[in-house]
Amino acid sequence: MYASKKYWMIAWILVLPALLIRIFTTIYPIIETFHISLFEVKLLQGIRKFVGLDNYIQLFHDSKMITSIRFTAIFVVGSMIGHIVLGIILALILNMKFRGQKVLRTIVLLPWAMPMVVIAMASKWAFNNEYGLINDFIRRFAPSFNLDWLIYTNTARSAVIAVDLWKDLPFFAILVLAGLQFISSDMYEAAKIDGAGSIRSFFSITLPLISRNILMLSIFFTMWRITSFDVVYAMTSGGPGESTALIAYRVTTEAFTNLNTGYAASIAVVLFLVMAVLSGLSMSAAKRVDY
Amino acid sequence: MIPKNSRSVPLTLTIWGLAAIVAFLILFPLWWIFISSITPAGELFSKPVKYWPVHPTLDSYRYLIKNVGLLPKIGNTAIIVGLSILIGMIISVMAAFSFARFRTRGLSIAVGFLLASMLIPDVVTARPLYDFLRSVHLYDTYTGLIILYISGILPFTILILQNYLNDIPVSIEESASIDGCGFFQSMFYVTIPLLRPALATVCIVNFITCLNNFFTPLFYSNGISVLSTAITQLPLRDNMYAVPWDLVSAMGWIIILPIIIFVAIFQRQIMEGIMAGGVKG
Repeated sequence: MYASKKYWMIAWILVLPALLIRIFTTIYPIIETFHISLFEVKLLQGIRKFVGLDNYIQLFHDSKMITSIRFTAIFVVGSMIGHIVLGIILALILNMKFRGQKVLRTIVLLPWAMPMVVIAMASKWAFNNEYGLINDFIRRFAPSFNLDWLIYTNTARSAVIAVDLWKDLPFFAILVLAGLQFISSDMYEAAKIDGAGSIRSFFSITLPLISRNILMLSIFFTMWRITSFDVVYAMTSGGPGESTALIAYRVTTEAFTNLNTGYAASIAVVLFLVMAVLSGLSMSAAKRVDY
Repeated sequence: MIPKNSRSVPLTLTIWGLAAIVAFLILFPLWWIFISSITPAGELFSKPVKYWPVHPTLDSYRYLIKNVGLLPKIGNTAIIVGLSILIGMIISVMAAFSFARFRTRGLSIAVGFLLASMLIPDVVTARPLYDFLRSVHLYDTYTGLIILYISGILPFTILILQNYLNDIPVSIEESASIDGCGFFQSMFYVTIPLLRPALATVCIVNFITCLNNFFTPLFYSNGISVLSTAITQLPLRDNMYAVPWDLVSAMGWIIILPIIIFVAIFQRQIMEGIMAGGVKG
């Protein structure tokens, strides 16, 4: 019906506003990012000179940047292991039939629906040694426990990962649950008749059937972790020192605080390329892993 | 069929136990934030932490209204979120309709572009976008913020609506046109009403996305303050960590409470929306 030429104009007029908005808010700035990453820009001194790939070379020798890359790797891997292991367990709990299942599903939606800033600001207080929720809870079991989480590198990093898990793990579990609901109960019945216990049927039926779903989810969640910003901004401001400055946080610090926009752009380009590789991976994963 | 009640008692108890632990881990911190917000500032420095205040008070909320300008912030948030969703939905329905009904090579490239642009992270475009907004005088304006909020919800919304539209047969519009409907008439009176459930789902998810948008107001506004950024800009105190926890918890609860109510009411639609698009909050 809509094949005739007269609809050609209407079709483009309808998509035009959406396209224009996305072009101005993503395409134009990303081209500009690539462009200024080749310049040394010092806004305060009014310097702007072409330096070729110097920013990129500097990036891999900058100790702050290396710390950021290292912590981002720890954050992504640590958080993703937690997401996958605990996420599957939580999804299995949500998939069980019991009174109160609906209430539990509603509760599990809450962390997803809340802004990360609020959670991160609250966490700053929750991880306080004297008056925080976390230590108060631990002290109920070990009364002499004392630890100022956000002061030491390792504990601050663990705390950031824990907060990230609290916020996004339930969301991951809900998406895994979506995959679980496609598995027909006939399969479990058949397995039961063949003598498989519940652990055996989890590893032989459930896991293989949701593995593709989990792989896709993990790629997307990894991408979101790599560009995480809010949690560190509100909770630790990258501290102690620079030890929890995720790459995304580093970019904004260089761009808006140090006003080193050329250098910031080169980090942004690297981040963008990593994202592009991962999305390429997710597309080939979507095609190849098929049953 | 195995009857539903065949499960053993210990197993049921284990499931309830697990469910209780999950519920506790999620709800207890929220309860703690609420209690902190109605506890007088001095009482917050108590060890062990009191999970019920001795002298409950609404002082923190009063302070936020009087000294921090809570009400204008709520107004700003309502205006920006409301208009962004309204305009964003109109633009999305138009685009989704076009993508679902017309098939040309140019349009498939446009769809691909929209999906690909979803993967560009905010931080990568932040600085050039900031400079661009300044140069066209949209920095720190309602218009600028609304455009950016809309941009944030467009790809997801178009994707979901297009999927729904693909399931609505074109023959409905064909018969409408035989009955004398023009193109826009059949779009408005025949197709869009059929989209209503999808529109509701997408609106609900977008409401949460917009309300939680922190990056946009943080970097692209200064004078116009919304709730999500306001919580990081509360006046610092002289306590040991410079966190005005009494105010932070009150501000946090003001943001959290509507979300809890909203999620409780629209649990089903939110689940559908999440599962349809894997949207990131």
